[in-house]
Amino acid sequence: MHRSLQTWLLVAQRLGVALITLVIVSFAVFFATELLPGDVAEILLGQAATPEAVAGLREAMGLNEPAISRFLSWLSGLATGDMGRSYVNDIEVADLLGRRLSNSLRLAVVVTVICVPFALTCGIAAAMWKGSILDRLVSILTISVISIPEFMVATLAVLVFAVWLSWLPALSYGADASNFGALLKAYAMPVITLTCVVSAQMIRMTRAAVIETINTPYVEMALLKGASRRRMVLRHALPNALGPIANAVALSLSYLVGGVIIVETVFNYPGVAKLMVDAVATRDLPLIQSCAMVFCVSYLSLITLADVVATLSNPRLRK
Amino acid sequence: MMQNTQSTPRKFSTERLGYAFNTTGKIGLAVILFWAVIAVIAPFITPYPPGKIVDWDYFGPISESYWMGTDYLGRDILSRVLMGARYTVGISLAGVTLACMGGVVLGMIAAVIGGWFDTILSRLLDAFNGIPSLLFGLVVVAAVGSSIPVLILTLAAIYLPGSYRFARALAVNVNTMDFVTVARARGEKTTYLIRTEILPNILGPVLADLGLRFVFIVLVLSGLSFLGIGVQPPHADWGGLVRENIEGLSLGAPAVIFPCIAIASLTISVNMFIDNLPQKIRDRSH
Amino acid sequence: MRAPNYQQGLNMTNKKPTNWTGRDDAMVENAIRRGATRRDLLKLLAASGVAVGAGSSLMMSATRAVAETPVFGGHLKAAGWSSSTADTLDPAKASLSTDYVRCCAIYNRLTFLDEFGQVQMELADSIESADAKTWTVKLKSGVSFHDGKPFTSADVVFSMNRHLDPAVGSKVNSIAKQMTEIKAVDDLTVEIVLEESNADLPTILSLHHFMIVADGTTDFSKGNGTGAFMMETFEPGVKSIAVKNPNYFKDGPYLDSFEYFAITDNNARVNAVLSGDIHMGASIKGRSRRMLEGQDHVWSSVTSSGNYTNLNIRLDMEPGAKEGFIEGMKHLINREAIEKSVLRGMATVGNDQPVSAANRYHNSELAPKAFDPEKAKAMFAKSGLLGETVPIVASDAATASVDMATVVQQAGSEIGMNFDVQRVPSDGYWSKYWLKAPVHFGNINPRPTPDILFSLLYSSDAKWNESQFKSEKFDKMLIEARGALNEDLRKEIYWDMQEMIANNAGTVIPAYLSNVDALSKSVKGLRPNPLGGQMGYAFAEYVWLDA
Repeated sequence: MHRSLQTWLLVAQRLGVALITLVIVSFAVFFATELLPGDVAEILLGQAATPEAVAGLREAMGLNEPAISRFLSWLSGLATGDMGRSYVNDIEVADLLGRRLSNSLRLAVVVTVICVPFALTCGIAAAMWKGSILDRLVSILTISVISIPEFMVATLAVLVFAVWLSWLPALSYGADASNFGALLKAYAMPVITLTCVVSAQMIRMTRAAVIETINTPYVEMALLKGASRRRMVLRHALPNALGPIANAVALSLSYLVGGVIIVETVFNYPGVAKLMVDAVATRDLPLIQSCAMVFCVSYLSLITLADVVATLSNPRLRK
Repeated sequence: MMQNTQSTPRKFSTERLGYAFNTTGKIGLAVILFWAVIAVIAPFITPYPPGKIVDWDYFGPISESYWMGTDYLGRDILSRVLMGARYTVGISLAGVTLACMGGVVLGMIAAVIGGWFDTILSRLLDAFNGIPSLLFGLVVVAAVGSSIPVLILTLAAIYLPGSYRFARALAVNVNTMDFVTVARARGEKTTYLIRTEILPNILGPVLADLGLRFVFIVLVLSGLSFLGIGVQPPHADWGGLVRENIEGLSLGAPAVIFPCIAIASLTISVNMFIDNLPQKIRDRSH
Repeated sequence: MRAPNYQQGLNMTNKKPTNWTGRDDAMVENAIRRGATRRDLLKLLAASGVAVGAGSSLMMSATRAVAETPVFGGHLKAAGWSSSTADTLDPAKASLSTDYVRCCAIYNRLTFLDEFGQVQMELADSIESADAKTWTVKLKSGVSFHDGKPFTSADVVFSMNRHLDPAVGSKVNSIAKQMTEIKAVDDLTVEIVLEESNADLPTILSLHHFMIVADGTTDFSKGNGTGAFMMETFEPGVKSIAVKNPNYFKDGPYLDSFEYFAITDNNARVNAVLSGDIHMGASIKGRSRRMLEGQDHVWSSVTSSGNYTNLNIRLDMEPGAKEGFIEGMKHLINREAIEKSVLRGMATVGNDQPVSAANRYHNSELAPKAFDPEKAKAMFAKSGLLGETVPIVASDAATASVDMATVVQQAGSEIGMNFDVQRVPSDGYWSKYWLKAPVHFGNINPRPTPDILFSLLYSSDAKWNESQFKSEKFDKMLIEARGALNEDLRKEIYWDMQEMIANNAGTVIPAYLSNVDALSKSVKGLRPNPLGGQMGYAFAEYVWLDA
């Protein structure tokens, strides 16, 4: 059909643009890394980095080639699906990244499954009954939750559930769980912390977006015509608010993939955020680049999805 | 046109009083002003120098000499919270204003002009968002060193793309509405469209977004100080105070509780204030 | 901890130290069995010439030994504080405590230091030399690697030579360079020839980097060593699991397996011990000890090993070049505040030289400079810098340096001296700021001998001459002491050198840091070791889990 062809074209165009963005990001990350003081040889030797030692190690690691040529060979390797080997420990980057990424994604999926329905329900309900006790309660609660630093929420959760009550483990490996109960226990703490942080934000954005569309004239018209408030919100306001909501959800989710460094640190969860921090600290170029690519791909695909949702949900954008 | 359907009963008085606030908004504003005043006069009212070790003990309780207890080094928390107001209020407000203003203006322009300009700007900012902020922060320190203006600009840069995306998504929606189409058909200029037609219609969510972003900036400040671009010792922003005293949490030390309360009081009142801005400001399309 | 009067002989064999022997251990243990009080024991120890500080540690370990008989079996989980994808099982590249712990479990050294700082033989049977220049190392027979290969002199030669190859990137390249020739005499004898006489070689060989790997090893991810454990899983930056080596040549290990990983957040590490998720959390902050108090399922082990964080003022740059400035700083730094408030008592006050009280050559008569703001003010006035603003670079990379900097800053503000504390990222600190900034902090890990400390940090050609201290006299004394076979003479020279550093170098060493490990009560057999926390990182082989 005509419409579906148009949609596909749109998606194809988005994908093309996303690919270009990726290349730009990889260049930007590469130059950013180059700007930082010290290279992998100096960092690895740490305090033992005498000029001779550094020179020897650079030679042995093949770092004497110009940085740009190392970058290009990494990029061309990537095109054939080869992410290269880590400078620091000579393990395949794909190997290193794969394990950590699957941990991160697992956590992100669990949090998403809990957060999104919960946050949307709360946000829409608060908007529907704007000004009510429920709305005020939701507003105050969400702001309070996000104003407490994440590391404080995490530490408090450990203190209460692990140290004082001994209900849950203080650490979370994720992968070690053997049965469903153990799995639930292993994930409980990071999920509790992240759900607090992420859903509070989503609730506020959903509420704001829905309220704004309630205020538009055609919704008011529908209301005047005698449509019930609930029906009005769900049938008329919500579809129009989908764009901004999808955007807010996408941003929160992309945060879950690469930005949960505090949760990874406090619960010792082996995710990809810590991997990136390590890679930057050791100037491990292939690993930094690959991590940046992963973050960027997840971010871009989420926001592209959000854009597509926004476009499809608003008939006037689909001309 | 843009009326808040729920507030219909109160509409009459709101209209008559023009820019009047409701009580919640007033409380919010009062707290913000309180902290703003503290930020200005802090150096004159701190009971002790904020960097001075006043007690050999640490994580001390609330006492007559130390109203908010002492921190992990035995410094007076009250003095540190008062001085911290300076950094938290000032830097966060400046950072969030820059990020949101920049983001919203660019977002609206992109939405109205559309086409290649929109695509390129959007992708560039997406690309920027793809660079991990840790890496960005480190590069900033390495390249230009550390100072308060650098800190504010870094915060603004980190939060601008998000603000841009949000504003653009809203503006794109409004842009397709009939009254904008009509205005455009009348031959109105882009600046007019943005100022008169788009901005008033996206202001509500944009302000809500600003409130949220403010909270994040307050919190992210403390993270940046570990990268070397934050507030420099002996001072610390409130997030930094929570962070450096976090070990006191299990001891129930006031040192970690009070900075948290300070953060919450500021961020909640900023949001209370924004949520309860007078209708005249929120709905300028009248 | 102070070692009892110990005579370093050149004939190092597998026997106990001269002064403190198993019989003395037995004596203390017997006394405890008979119900001796603490006071009785201290008297007993004083009679045998043991300092009080060392005495009480000896007594504690003896008390523990009496009550406890090792139990075999169990899986121990322990957490260090730093780990990254740079984690390695290559002993030459090991740089973090996490690496040392793993390497200690799977490899052995030729020698090691026991809890009294005495050299003991491990893979070596004896190390002998007539002139401290040409050394003959006899190796133990019947030892084999995890893969079954027998241990021979070829492995030792290979392991030592790796440190000389720049491509390896060994951390001890500068120390290893003095070995000009390393050759196998026969299957179980190695000859090491040094550039110059150095009586400390047996101690040097106890450094963690000098672990013995199998000849020809290129892939270190398997961790094929002779040690007490065999590596089962090793994920850099995540965790490792090692299982007991059934063919181990020594007694032990007691554990069936042990798991090691890092929890970088101090608070999270303590909480994990408190909640029982791990048996041991290494290196917790002094102030976290309060969280362990009143909890009867946990305890803490304190080690003083000579690690320190120091304020370096370069003598060749402003403001250090101005006469009086450095002396002013030495009087302005409030050592007591640093020891009490910053480090919460988990430290001993330092006297601006690198040989800590844990070392038997420590100059105990060299008093720390007094905290005297007035004198400091006069000194700053003399240097013409009073009222100026001086930047001090600190970073979380150098333990506690940011807090130390604020202590100096506050003291300065009270006498009209402004210090601008610049907290910079840990990332890149050692390559960008350390040794380079005019006034900055450093952090030096413990080294077992004054010779290593001095040649690394204070000789004119030292790689890490933090304050650019140069003195021909000092260099001559260093070489003289290295070859001095007379213990008293060496000690005298070392004492003089410490005094020279304390008075003339630009390094302010306010305190030696103690290491605190938090442990579950079920962990037994852990004794402090001068090589560092976690029993000199080698705890896995010696501890057991009480059922």
